[in-house]
Amino acid sequence: MAELIRRGWVAGTLILWACAAHAGAAEDSAQTIGELKQLNVEDLMNVQVTSVARRPEKLIETASAIQVITQEDIRRSGATSIPEVLRLADNLQVAQKNSHDWAISARGFNTALANKLLVMIDGRTVYTPLYSGVFWDAQDYVLADIDRIEVISGPGGALWGANAVNGVINIITKSAQDTQGLYAQLGGGSRPQDFADVRYGGAFDSDTHFRVYGKYFDRGSEVLADGGSTSDAWSQGRGGFRIDSTASARDKLTLQGDFYQGSENDQTGGSSDSSGANVLGRWSRRISDESDLGLQTYIDQTHVTDPVAPLIVNGLEFAGPGTLHDALTTFDVDFQHRLRIGAANNVVWGLGFRYSHDVVSNAPALAFLPPTLDRDLYSIFGQDEIALRPNLSLTLGTKLERNDYTGYEVEPDIRLSWIMDPRQALWGAISRAVRTPSRIDQDFKEAAPPNFVLLEGGSDFKSESVLAYELGYRVQIDSRLSASLSSFFNHYDDIRSTTFTPTTLLPFFFANGLEGDTYGLEFSSNYQVSEIWSLHAGYTLLKEHLHVKPGQSDLNDALNETADPEHQFSFRSSLNVLRHAEIDAALRWVDTLHNNSGAVVGTVPSYFELDTHLSWHASDRLEFTLVGQNLLHNRHAEYGFPDPTRPEIERSAYGKFTWRY
Amino acid sequence: MEVLTRAKCLAVAAALVFAVSGQLLLAADAPTENQVQAVFLFNFSRFVEWPTQAFAAPNDPFVIGIVGNDPFGARLDQAVRNEQINGHRLTVRRFRSIADVDNCQILFIDRSETGRLGQILSALDHRSILTVSQADGAAQQGVMIQFATEDSRIRLRINVESARAAGLTISSKLLRPAEIVGAQAKEQ
Repeated sequence: MAELIRRGWVAGTLILWACAAHAGAAEDSAQTIGELKQLNVEDLMNVQVTSVARRPEKLIETASAIQVITQEDIRRSGATSIPEVLRLADNLQVAQKNSHDWAISARGFNTALANKLLVMIDGRTVYTPLYSGVFWDAQDYVLADIDRIEVISGPGGALWGANAVNGVINIITKSAQDTQGLYAQLGGGSRPQDFADVRYGGAFDSDTHFRVYGKYFDRGSEVLADGGSTSDAWSQGRGGFRIDSTASARDKLTLQGDFYQGSENDQTGGSSDSSGANVLGRWSRRISDESDLGLQTYIDQTHVTDPVAPLIVNGLEFAGPGTLHDALTTFDVDFQHRLRIGAANNVVWGLGFRYSHDVVSNAPALAFLPPTLDRDLYSIFGQDEIALRPNLSLTLGTKLERNDYTGYEVEPDIRLSWIMDPRQALWGAISRAVRTPSRIDQDFKEAAPPNFVLLEGGSDFKSESVLAYELGYRVQIDSRLSASLSSFFNHYDDIRSTTFTPTTLLPFFFANGLEGDTYGLEFSSNYQVSEIWSLHAGYTLLKEHLHVKPGQSDLNDALNETADPEHQFSFRSSLNVLRHAEIDAALRWVDTLHNNSGAVVGTVPSYFELDTHLSWHASDRLEFTLVGQNLLHNRHAEYGFPDPTRPEIERSAYGKFTWRY
Repeated sequence: MEVLTRAKCLAVAAALVFAVSGQLLLAADAPTENQVQAVFLFNFSRFVEWPTQAFAAPNDPFVIGIVGNDPFGARLDQAVRNEQINGHRLTVRRFRSIADVDNCQILFIDRSETGRLGQILSALDHRSILTVSQADGAAQQGVMIQFATEDSRIRLRINVESARAAGLTISSKLLRPAEIVGAQAKEQ
C-alpha cells in the first residue's frame, strides 16, 4: 500500500510538471506587458511580482564551489528551520538525527561530532569550542528576513581561518531597510505543532531603519521504528532587532542583536535547556568603487544544560548520572580593507582577534578539565586577485593565525579563474586548511576523576589538516539554463583517532593517527522552463578512504570520523499557477549511510523523500500555505545506529497564514 | 504528540491536483519582476522631463539603453513597441560599454555593472540621461532611480539631487509613492 502511494506520488508529480510545461510555454508575455501598461504608477507598485531567483553578481566568475540559497528558495521550500533550509544546497550532507538534532557537513566527515564546517550568521561565527561543531537547534531566525545563504564547499581557511576545512556557510539577513512594515506568520500541524513569527520594521528617519522580531515554536517528538514515541519534543522562543543606518553616502552602520531560550526533552528521559544572546556592531566605509573598509565586533553568550546518563559498561557502573552545563562567552573584533593596487591587483587584507571564556560544570560520567578555559585567537590575512589578462585572474591568499593550542597556523590558497566567454568559466584551486584542537580533543574525560577514566582527550593532540585540489566549471547555456560542476581531491593528515595507553591499555585517548583521501563531484543545474516554472537538479558523489597511519593505532579502524552517503540526488520544481498560487515539490534521494562511530556498526538504508509546498496569495496581504514534509514514508531513519532506540523521522504536514502590511 | 493521518496527506495531494487542473483551464500568471520593471522604464519616459538639448534632432528616437547584462530579453521591446513621446519614437538599445553610449535618454545599468558603477556615473556626468538600476544601494551611490523588490513588490528609490544635477525634472506622480534617497554620492 505504502509502495503504491509512493509510486502514485512520483508519477503524479511528473504528470503535473509535464502539464505545466505545456501551459507555461503557451504564455504570452506581451499580453501581460500590455495589461501592466494600463496601470498607473501607484497601482504598478502594488502589483505582486514573482522574482526570478536572484543570484549575487558575477556568480559565474567566482572561483569556488559556491551555491546560493535565495529568500525565494527558502520561502518556497516550506522549511521551518535553518537545517531544513540547508537541504536546498546540493553541496551539503544534511541528516536529521531526532526531533532537535541534525548532522550537517560538506564533503563528508558528517559524524555525531561533525567539525569541519564553519558557519556564520551575519559575520558572527556560531560554533561550540567544546567540539568545533554547531548546535543546530540553537541557530534560528525569522526565515522570511534571511536575504540569502551562501554555501561554499571546499576549504575557506585563507579568508575565514581555522575550521573552514570542508566548507563555509554564510547566513546573511536582510538589511532593516528591506524589512519595513509588519510581517506575521501563524501556523501549525503535525510538525511543527504550532509556531508564530512576528516582525515589525520602521524608520527613525530617512537614513535609519530598524526591525524587531519575535518567534516561537513547539515541535513534537519523532518516532521509533516500532512506532513508539522518542519523547524528544522541544520548544523555543527567540527575539531580536536590527538597525541599519546610512550615516553618509560613504558610511553604513549596523547594530543587531538576538536572544533565545529553549527546552528539549531527551530520549533518555531528562530535559535539556539552552539559551543565548548576542550583540553585533558593524561599520563599513566605501572609499571608492575599488576600495572599502569594514570593522565589526560582537559579543556572544550561550548556555547549554544537558542531562548525562550514567556510564555503565557490561553492567558495571563507572559513574552515576548527572548534568553538564556549559557557559560560553565570546568577544570578537575584525577589521577588513579592500583596495586596488595598480591596474591589475585587487587586494583584501584584515586583522582579527577573538577571546573566549568557557565554563563547564561537569557531570560524573562526562567532563572537560580544566572546567574553566580562556582562549585567545589572533589572525591576519591577505589576498591578492591579480588580473593576468582581462579574462584570466590569479588569486593568492593566506591566513596566519595564532591559537593557544598549537601556536601558529598557516592556511594558504591559490586560485585561478578563466572566464572563457561571458557565459562560461573554468576555475581551479589548491588550498590548505586546518582544524585546530577543540576542548573534546584535549580536555575531555569519560568518566570524570575520581571515577575511573575510560576515554580522554590527548594532551598532545594537534591540528588536523587538509590539502585540497579543486577544479570547477560553470556555464550559462542561455538565459534559461545554467549548470555548475565542481570536483575535488582532498588529502587529510592528522585526523582524530582513538588509541590506547601502552601497557595499561586504559584509558583510551584521542590522537592524530589517521590520514587519507577523499574525492568527489558536485553538480547543480537550474532550468527556467517558462516565466512561471523552474526546475532544479543536483547530484553529489563522495568517496572517502581513511586509514590508520603507519605506527599508529585506532580502536575503530579509521571508521569513526565518517558517516556519509556516497551519492545524493535532488530534483525540485517551482510552479506559479492561477496568478496567485505557487506549487513546489522537492524530491531527494540519499544513499546508504555507514554509521560507525559507536559500539554498533551498521547502516541507515538509502531513501527517497518528497516535500511539497502549496501557497495561495489570497490578497496582497494575506497568504495561505500548506506544506507536506517527508511524504513518501510513514517514517524513515536518516542517521544513527540500527538499534530499537534509533529515532526515525515521521511524515508530517502543517498549514500557516502569513500577513504583510 | 499528534500523529499525522494518511487522510491529511491525501488532502494535500488532492489540493495539488485541483490547483494544477485549474491552471490548465485558466492559464495566467503573476507578472515577473522584469516585466514590471520594463513597464516602469517605459513609464519613466512620460513622468520625467528632459531638456530640449537632450535630443540632437527633433525626430531623433527616444532611446532606452541597457549596459551590462540584459535582464529583460524581449520584454522591454514589447513595452515600448509602437510608442512615441513628443514625436520621438521609443526604441531600445543595448550598449556594449559606457563608451558606446551616444544618443540615450534613459540608461538602465544592470547589477552586473555594480563594480563599475562609479566609473559609469562619472562618464555620464552632466549629461541629461536618466540613470536606473536594480543594484543594491545604487540610489545612494548616485543612480537616479533604483528598483528594489520588497515583499514581492517593486519599490522605487529616487535620488532627486542626482536627477536635478543632470537637468531632469521628475514628476510628483513618481516621487509621491517613491522613497526619496537624500545622499548624493558624486565623488571626485
